Amino acid sequence: MNTLSNPVNQVRPYLLSSPALLLYIGLFMIPLIMTLMLSFYSYDVDRGGVVAEFSFTNYVEVLSDSYFHGIFFRTFALSIAVTVLCVLLGTPEAYILHRMSGRWKSICMLAILGPLLVSVVVRTLGWAILFGSKGVINESLLAIGVIDTPIKLMFTNTGVIIALVHVLVPFMVLSVWASLQKLDPMIENAGLSLGASPFIVLRQIVVPQIMPGILSGSLIVFALTASAFATPSILGGRRLKVVATTAYDEYLGTLNWPLGAAIAVLLLVANVIIITTYNKFIERKYSQAFK
Amino acid sequence: MSFLRLEGLVKRFDDFVAVEGMNLNVEKGEFVSLLGPSGCGKTTTLQMIAGFVTPTQGRILINNQDVTHLKPSKRNLGIVFQSYALFHHMTIFDNVAFGLKMRKIDKVESDERVREILSLVHLKDFAHRYPRELSGGQQQRVALARAMVIRPEVLLLDEPLSALDAKIREDMQTELRSIQRTLGTTTILVTHDQSEAMALSDRVAVMNKARLAQIDKPFALYEHPRDSFVTEFLGKSNVFEGSIKDANDGLSSIDVSGLNLLANNTDHTIGQAVDFSIRPEKIRFVAQGKGVIDGTISSRIFLGNQWVFQVETSIGEFSVVSLNTSHIDIDQGSVVGLDWTPSEVRLLTREVA
Repeated sequence: MNTLSNPVNQVRPYLLSSPALLLYIGLFMIPLIMTLMLSFYSYDVDRGGVVAEFSFTNYVEVLSDSYFHGIFFRTFALSIAVTVLCVLLGTPEAYILHRMSGRWKSICMLAILGPLLVSVVVRTLGWAILFGSKGVINESLLAIGVIDTPIKLMFTNTGVIIALVHVLVPFMVLSVWASLQKLDPMIENAGLSLGASPFIVLRQIVVPQIMPGILSGSLIVFALTASAFATPSILGGRRLKVVATTAYDEYLGTLNWPLGAAIAVLLLVANVIIITTYNKFIERKYSQAFK
Repeated sequence: MSFLRLEGLVKRFDDFVAVEGMNLNVEKGEFVSLLGPSGCGKTTTLQMIAGFVTPTQGRILINNQDVTHLKPSKRNLGIVFQSYALFHHMTIFDNVAFGLKMRKIDKVESDERVREILSLVHLKDFAHRYPRELSGGQQQRVALARAMVIRPEVLLLDEPLSALDAKIREDMQTELRSIQRTLGTTTILVTHDQSEAMALSDRVAVMNKARLAQIDKPFALYEHPRDSFVTEFLGKSNVFEGSIKDANDGLSSIDVSGLNLLANNTDHTIGQAVDFSIRPEKIRFVAQGKGVIDGTISSRIFLGNQWVFQVETSIGEFSVVSLNTSHIDIDQGSVVGLDWTPSEVRLLTREVA
């Protein structure tokens, strides 16, 4: 009765998964490989654009030019800032949500998930209306006399960060909330009964045990910020470039596809390295929480 | 003055009454169980003592100090939770040391006390493991050690053994009892398991419908239950409705479905409706016509150490338990006499529905 020795049964799993596999290969692997190949080609206007010759020119250009260093630095600084803010806002938010009950819980959940239900462009343009020098925020602050001159929010890092945190915090909340669901409901009482203050219970008992949720939430937020395009593009403008908008500009502005591809590949590689390193670090530090 | 006192404790959630007029006095070093079916208010009572639930009315006193409105973290109680609620991200040692750390006890003394308690619960060699690497019974002992190491005024046990297998549970009962005796800690155990309550406690408090039904030593409680709820919650009994017909010479005669049955005198009045109760193990088999009543064996079940018979009689079905001391030659369908001494009969005031 060894079903695996039957040749039909050996093939069956592959047959069953082939539709998804084909889709994955066709829509993800092939474009990715093509982008990777493209990034090693060179660009020469005199020779008619993209030249299919293998070279490291694009990588050398990106890695040696301080202009690109600045863009990569800005992107990762932005990602770290957004991730930290999402952890600081999302974790308490998830905890409070976890402690709520009934109707209020549903209402608050909806408010948190709300941003995800609105198209990224619409939502970002909404922020633009709020942020502008004649925008709602500045007009109200001026009217009540808190400020004398409009605060600059459009085309600033602050504006981009606020808008990104707004849309990405739900991922953090959901992820932390999922870990909180797995927490023993009596664990906090156990801490209290042993003489710990509510703050110490949170800090030393609850937080370490929901670390997997905080970790996966911050990985999602970090990766989404590092590759965010619409929000930095609309609110940051062309001067406040991030990696994703730079790759876009290389493709569609200067038509230097190979350089754009190299930038995209470097972003991917950097993202993968940062995320796996962070993951290893946290998993080691809080190994018991991950079992 | 008793060490732990509950005075007129009441807890209402909206219009639901969880605990009503609970009075309990526990002496220092005493082991008292709160026993009852689910929803009887025993867990709410424990949570009020622990401070997780605020009473609607009444007071809680520990060592003559009113703790009714004291924060849980200030009560100095050791609690073992049903789920153990161990800190999974800490080693066994750190779990146990947590309460001492919160009390800012110096490292040398703390380490010494943790080692001491871990060896008392036979977990000395597991100090650097993590909770998830331990079996259920071991985790249970960690939870106990963590609660005991702070030298609590009162130890509260919330169904601590219910998650364990039957065999380990029995071992843990013995161990729990011996540790509690060794350390002399006043202990309250919440359980729905009557044999656990009787095996462990100095006194058992039976709760029913948010109220304390009866509190007494296990043997006294089993032998002299106040009502049919306590009777049937603590073991099994054959209960029949009847009324007092006559009383003289220390014996009352009770009319049960037209049959005259005898029992020791009680303070019931003639004509009063009572429940006539006789435990299955108090009944002996005798030859037909030689006992109090005759019946036909309708079924018999062998449980290893004992036989359980169901006997059909004119007043209803009896359950009879006989120890498997010798071969019992009573088959299904045979007609037998059932006999008992009147002093084994309990007359219980009928519960007013």
